[in-house]
Order: sequence, then structure tokens, then C-alpha cells
Amino acid sequence: MKLLNIAWRNVFRHTRRTIITAAAISVGLSSMIFMNTMMNGADKMASRNIIDFETSHLEVFARDYYREEGVFPLDTIIENPKYVNDRIEAIPGIKGVTPRVKFQASISNGIDELPVLGMGIDIENDRRIFETGNSVVAGRFLKNSGDVLIGTDLANDMSLEVGSYITIITKDRNGTYNALDLEVAGLLNTGHPLFDRNMAIIPIAEAQELLALEGGVTEICIRAIDEETLGPLKEKVSDEIGAQYEVFTWKELNAAIFEISGFKRAGQFMIGLVVVIIAAVGIINTMLMAVMERIPEIGTLKAMGFSNSRIVRMFIYEGGIIGALGSALGCLIGMLISIYLVQVGLDFSGLFENVDIVYPMKFIIKGEIDYVNMLYVFLFGIIVSVMVTLWPVRKATKLEPVDALRHV
Amino acid sequence: MIETRDLYKDYRIGKVLFPALRGIDMRIEDGEFTAIAGPSGSGKTTLLNIIGCLDVPTKGKILIDGTNINELSSKGKAELRKTQIGFVFQTFNLIPVLTAYENVEIPLILLNLELQKKKERIVAILEEVGLGDFIGRRPNEMSGGQQQRVAIARALVKEPTMVLADEPTANLDSTTAKEILALMQELNEKHETTFIFSTHDQLVMDYSRRTINLRDGRIVEDKRKPKGPR
Repeated sequence: MKLLNIAWRNVFRHTRRTIITAAAISVGLSSMIFMNTMMNGADKMASRNIIDFETSHLEVFARDYYREEGVFPLDTIIENPKYVNDRIEAIPGIKGVTPRVKFQASISNGIDELPVLGMGIDIENDRRIFETGNSVVAGRFLKNSGDVLIGTDLANDMSLEVGSYITIITKDRNGTYNALDLEVAGLLNTGHPLFDRNMAIIPIAEAQELLALEGGVTEICIRAIDEETLGPLKEKVSDEIGAQYEVFTWKELNAAIFEISGFKRAGQFMIGLVVVIIAAVGIINTMLMAVMERIPEIGTLKAMGFSNSRIVRMFIYEGGIIGALGSALGCLIGMLISIYLVQVGLDFSGLFENVDIVYPMKFIIKGEIDYVNMLYVFLFGIIVSVMVTLWPVRKATKLEPVDALRHV
Repeated sequence: MIETRDLYKDYRIGKVLFPALRGIDMRIEDGEFTAIAGPSGSGKTTLLNIIGCLDVPTKGKILIDGTNINELSSKGKAELRKTQIGFVFQTFNLIPVLTAYENVEIPLILLNLELQKKKERIVAILEEVGLGDFIGRRPNEMSGGQQQRVAIARALVKEPTMVLADEPTANLDSTTAKEILALMQELNEKHETTFIFSTHDQLVMDYSRRTINLRDGRIVEDKRKPKGPR
């Protein structure tokens, strides 16, 4: 017969009370796990969208080109992309390299005119490192000069379809207005709002001509073999191509997005905290009742020579057992919800239909389970339960045995 | 041997000082079977609690085998309760989630006994109090008399020098009360354990060989007789 054994029996003295308390804990913890899974999933999706469509792993610009997100100047560009390209390709650990030209433009269907981000791509190389080519849902990928790829959302907004003609209007490098007639070759559905709603993709040669770049490009995108060691690779690339160029990782280029992600985490933490406080109040209430109704029992134990610490330990075991039951149940429910989120996901397409979100993802958010976090949540549940047990028990053990025995 | 010298105990209830004991001088030898009698409010429970190191006197000395227990720390008192003193309560005070066997085992948790020895002791004492067949029963599956037998077994299992019983029969019918008293007397003779119990019940007094009568916190009579009826 051990204290733990007695505690276990006492936990089931009031089965219903124990179940309700454990359930309160489990609801709190499972919602924490649910939120974590969602956040991880959303972040992972956003990261994938950025890497697979927007920047790849590393991007090279001419020095001073990159000032802030969403600005695409043409005064500082990479004038000799071939040289840079070749030097980078020689570095081990690189999976692919492709140049891009980004420029601010607007497109017109003859009636409406909408601002877009124009992008010139190397038809062959771009497919190797980006997923753009695999996201064509109607028509085909770029092939001939005069082809343009646009997103399905943009196509809807401007009533365009495969085969429609549009005019792209922009200012070239010298500030002169220039325009080009294009035929919609294909429609993209990438899941990245920027690409689906605000982008016109054309062959790089035409972009260069349109903008009078004379063979120059605005950026060179690099895909690494190993996604985890971009820091050292960035250094290597930087050393290889020299000081007139700058190299950025995809994370550096999207700092603002991960700042948003930080805010979300803070919000998630606050919600979690509230939930935990509610659960903690439940445990306090249960343990307070458990202690109060058993004060004569505490007196009896003290009369038999039990020390306060032993009695406190017995109640800690009780709180711990309830906490462990609630935590286990919470983690189980959280895991089941998480598995659902991973397998099926949550459909937000209706919610975000007409909202311009800067966060690069949409449609169905799929979860991403973090087992380490789940372990922390489990331990957290037990620790909170034990902590809130201490208060009523310490109060009860302070009573003299006579007073405890007489207590009704 | 238990000895009290000029023992006083005052309780403060609000602003009123209530004297529970007013100068108790007595001596109880080892192995005695003593009743402390008197009407309610006469101070019997208080005296018993002080002897049992559950309460402290306002003034005066209490010696157990020559040691002044007032001078013991609360840890020292707990140690004394752990090894020397067994308690039996009016309301039995068994732990409801534990079986008879487990309730009797509780005091032994604190003593480092071999598992086998522990088992033997528990089973032996439960058989002695006549509950050999009720070892696995929980308190709510037993009658009041049976529960009090478990409580007596629990008090005796650690082989203390004295058992203090506060109104042990007050919650029992007279037939059961008689049985419990007979049992206690039998155990007293067999184990030579000192039994001190408080009561306001004439029946209990009839059983005891010595009755100390209290009234208003003072000893008014200390009566001995050769042997109680069986």
C-alpha cells in the first residue's frame, strides 16, 4: 500500500467530479494542440508557397536593389546574368538557378485596367526550380513569344480565358511608357494569392525588351539541395559572385510575414493561457472540495503520526493523477483533431474569397503536427494541476490535528 | 506510565475564556484499563487529546514514561504518536476508499517493516478483533461495530504502549457497545496495552477497572475495582 495507491483510490472516490475536471483540462489542452497544429500548418503552407513559387531558397540582386518588399526598381539590375548564373551553378549543393525579371505593370482587356506584378521567366530553367509549371489548370505553360500566364482569380476579375488577348502596360528602365499585346496561354491556380490574383508571367526575353534591360535581369533565384543549411550556402554564393551583388534567403525576404506569424503565436499563447486558467479554476475547485471534505481524515492521519509533507504529497499525487488523465485525454483528442487537419484540412476558401491577405496562402489549410509541443502540453497540464493543488492542501495541513479532527 | 501535574487548559471562544481543565493531577500505570467519565463539557476529550499529543495544555506538565511531552517539538510529538499511541475515535474515522486490511495497514506505512511481517501482523490483528472474514471489505460494507473493530485493529497494529479511545461506543447500540468493550478489555489483558477511554456511558464505566470522574475540568472521583463484569 503506497501513498500513490491511496491517491489513486481517492481520485475515483467521486468519479463524476474527476471526469468533469479531467474533461475541462482536456478541452483546454486539446484546443491548444489544435491551434498549434493549425498555425504550424499555415506557416508551413506559406513557406512552401514562397519557396515553390516566389523566391525559391536564395535570391541574388544587384547591390542596393532590394529596399523593401513590394518595390521593384529597374535602376539597379544584374547586367550580366550569364556570368553570375555560371558562377553560382558551379557551387556544390545547388539544385538549380534561374533568372527572373519583376516589374510593376498594369494589364488591360480593353475595358478595365488592373495593376499587376509583371514577371519575365526563363521558360526552361524556371520549371526546374519552381512549381509554377505544375500549377497550370487551363491551357498550357509559356511556349511562344506573346504568351502570358495569369492566375485564375485575375482571369475571373477581368473576364479572361485561355486565348483572350490583353495588353500589358509598363514604364521601361528609362521611364518611357511601353506596351505589349499578349495572348493568355494558360491559367494558374497555385494557392498563392499573389500569383493567382496579381501576376502576369511572360517569357524573359520579352520582359527584357519591354523594359529595355538589354539582357539584364532583376534577380536570380537559387534552389538548394538541402533546405536546412541555407546560411552557409548564402555565404558561399556571396563570396563567389562578389560585392556588387547581394544574396538573401527566402526568410529574410519575407520577414514581415514571419512577423505576422509571431503575432499569431502571441495570440495563440494568450488564448491558450485563458483556456488554461479556466481549466485551472476547475481543478482548484475540485481539489478544494476534496480537501475540505477530508479535513477530519487529514486529522486522523496526523493523529496516527503522518507528517504534513506526506499528506501534501498524497494530495499532490491526486492532483497529478487528475492532471495526467486530463492531459492524456486532451492530447488524444488534440491528436485526433490534428490528424484530421493533416489529412483533410480546414477549408477557408469561402472566408478569404474577397479579402486581400498578405499572408501567402489560401484555400484549404492543412495542419502540421508538432509532437514535441504535444509533449510539452501534456507536462504543462500535469504541472498546472499539481501547482493548484498545493494551495488548498497546505492550508488544510496547517490546522492542528485536534482542530482538523473536530472540523465538520 | 502517564502522569499529569496541575494540568490546565483554557479555550478562547471569541472573547470568552473557557476553562476546560482546571488542575488535573493523576497517574495511570502501564497496562491499566481506565475510563475517564463525566458529562459533556467536563473536559474528558480535552484531557485525552493532551495525553495523545494532539493538543497542548495551557499550564502544567504531562509526563509519559518520565518525558515531559510539552517540551517535544511537533515532529517529536508526531514520532510519539507514530510509535507509542493508538487512537480510536467516536466516528471510527476509517478511510472510506480503503478496505479493512488497507485501513489497518495505514499506520504501518510510517514504520519500516518487512512486507511479510507487515502482512502477518495485519491479518493477525484483524482475526483477533473478529474480522478474519472481512479483510477485503470497505467501511461502507460493514456495520458500525465492525468498523469500530477495524479502528481498534488499526490502533493496535503498530503495537503501541497505549490506546486512547474518545467515546468509542457513543455511536453504537448497547449490545454492540458491550461487545466492543469486551474486546478492548480482552486485548488490554492480552497485549498489556494501556487503554484510556472517555465516556459518559454508565455501561462503559462498569467495564473499567478504574474510573476517573471529571466535572468542570476537575477530578471529582477516582474509583478502582478489582475486575469488571464479563
